[in-house]
Amino acid sequence: MAVFTRTTKNLILKIDEFIDNVDIGLLVFKEGIKAFLDKDMDAFHRHLQKVDLLENSADKLQREIENEMITHSVLPQQRAEVSNLIDELDEIIDSIKSSLNEFDIEMPDIPVSLNNNFISLTETSVSAAEELIPAARAYFKEPYTVREKLLKVYYYESEADKIASNTKKIIFQEMKELDLAHKAHLRYIIHHVEVISDLAQKAADLLSGMAIKILM
Amino acid sequence: MIILYLTSGLFLGWSLGANDASHIFGSAVGSKMISFRTAAVIASVFFILGAVIQGSGTSNTLSKLGAVNAIGGSFTVALAAAITIYMMTKFSLPISTTQAIVGAIIGWNIFTGNPTHSATLTKIVAAWIAGPVIGAVFAIILYILLKRFKKSAKIHLIKFESYIKTGLLIVGAFGAYSLGANNIANVMGVFIPAFHLQDLNLGIFTLSSTQQILLLGGLAVAAGILTYSWKVMETIGSNIMELSSDAALIVVLAQSLVLFIFSSTGLSDLFVRAGLPPIPMVPVSSSQVIVGCILGIGLYKGARNINFKVLRDIGLAWVVSPVVSGLLTFFLLFFMKNIFNMNVGTKITGAAGNPLLMNDILMQDQSDVSGIIRYILLGLFVFGTIALLLYFLLESKKRKEMQRSEEKFWKNLK
Repeated sequence: MAVFTRTTKNLILKIDEFIDNVDIGLLVFKEGIKAFLDKDMDAFHRHLQKVDLLENSADKLQREIENEMITHSVLPQQRAEVSNLIDELDEIIDSIKSSLNEFDIEMPDIPVSLNNNFISLTETSVSAAEELIPAARAYFKEPYTVREKLLKVYYYESEADKIASNTKKIIFQEMKELDLAHKAHLRYIIHHVEVISDLAQKAADLLSGMAIKILM
Repeated sequence: MIILYLTSGLFLGWSLGANDASHIFGSAVGSKMISFRTAAVIASVFFILGAVIQGSGTSNTLSKLGAVNAIGGSFTVALAAAITIYMMTKFSLPISTTQAIVGAIIGWNIFTGNPTHSATLTKIVAAWIAGPVIGAVFAIILYILLKRFKKSAKIHLIKFESYIKTGLLIVGAFGAYSLGANNIANVMGVFIPAFHLQDLNLGIFTLSSTQQILLLGGLAVAAGILTYSWKVMETIGSNIMELSSDAALIVVLAQSLVLFIFSSTGLSDLFVRAGLPPIPMVPVSSSQVIVGCILGIGLYKGARNINFKVLRDIGLAWVVSPVVSGLLTFFLLFFMKNIFNMNVGTKITGAAGNPLLMNDILMQDQSDVSGIIRYILLGLFVFGTIALLLYFLLESKKRKEMQRSEEKFWKNLK
């Protein structure tokens, strides 16, 4: 019995810590982009380092969670889905890290007039993922509240899509002074920010199905 | 010689262990909540305890239905029931050990000219019908309570699952105990009136003649659980209906309660003291009760596609199993008596007690059975201790290897 309790407590703590890492990663990403747009490269590199640490810790936790679930036969009926959910959340923090790395390596030249568009896109895309966090936590404690919590994820994802499209339109139709390579690079960077909300939506779809199944 | 007569009962016990006992831990093992090893050990130990401590209640009811008063008769009755179960399983026809043995006893009554106690028969048949119905009602009530508790308590899913896992072990143990108490009569009930063994003093407690017979039956059931039930346990979850872990717990609990109710003399006495009618001590079919429990949960969940074939199968088993078993017993008794010249029992005369007509040689042999049981128990104790030590050693080795491989992985990654 003591073995059950210890394993259970450890696993709950690890899942919570993993979700915390993703949550903090999103905050750091937002601040990192703002620092990049403000040309504060010291702050940007600090945020990049922080995201790197969070991603490594999330990877380790993911492996430990999956190992413990298998060896102690925890949640045998939901194990595959919980593992998938953790995978999807890990994809988000992986994408955060790779996006910030792209900014660091490619140093995109973002025109000051687009700063507000980029900040708005980052905030909306991150908000979609942030709204996923309480829903993911709720799956374990109050599964009947998951679906209502996920509504905001879908809302922010569609908003992020709109902002991304508008920004791309401005770049390609209004900013005649930029050459095509520059425009294509900006489009690529926009995609890197926007993808976070897409990943959040993918995880939300999975979580929504999981919530229905557990309530059946 | 006497052990040879018991073989048909022991075989019946083995098949009960391989099939019926699997229902208790089937959903838990099938869904990988509990390992087969743990389930089999718990089921075996608690089945034997239930059989020895509380198994006499239902055995007495079967004795009232027909007191098979010769060892040859007991052997033939159990053999006929075992053959019926084998044949009907072979042809994929619904079967229940309980119904087969009742039919066999009635067959013996007809052959020996003894009247079948109609009140007892009515009681038994009523319990067969009541078993699945009560099981369904219990399952619905318990499932609603569990769902409400789960919603209001807001327990973490993993913690809740660990409670369910612990619950499954406890309820499974209770289920195995109740099954032992209720169903051992099917296996050994027919031998009890024909056997009179010396009391077996084991130091801490003494086993009466009935308890020794029930213990032997319990050991046969345990052998069935340990050797063959894994196959049934692995598939049972998906065979009847895909059950969630909490529904599996409720199904086992409801089934255990039904079996316990129909085998607890203490509970029956409480009813009488409260001015209520006594609960009949009747062996009920565990497989039919479990189907009742699962259907109950299905009904509550609003399942549209209730499989009426399962209900038809239960109804069919109520009629077909006793009839086939009864007919087979009648013919087997005829052969045993006329061809092998075996004493299969006689008409019971006189109101007080059963004048048991025993063969002299068999009476002498019976004193050896207690000695054999003593050696079996000693052997089991030694074997159990060694197996337990070996298990803990292997588990600790496995855990250390796992830890080492994990450390190596992270070291190499760095």
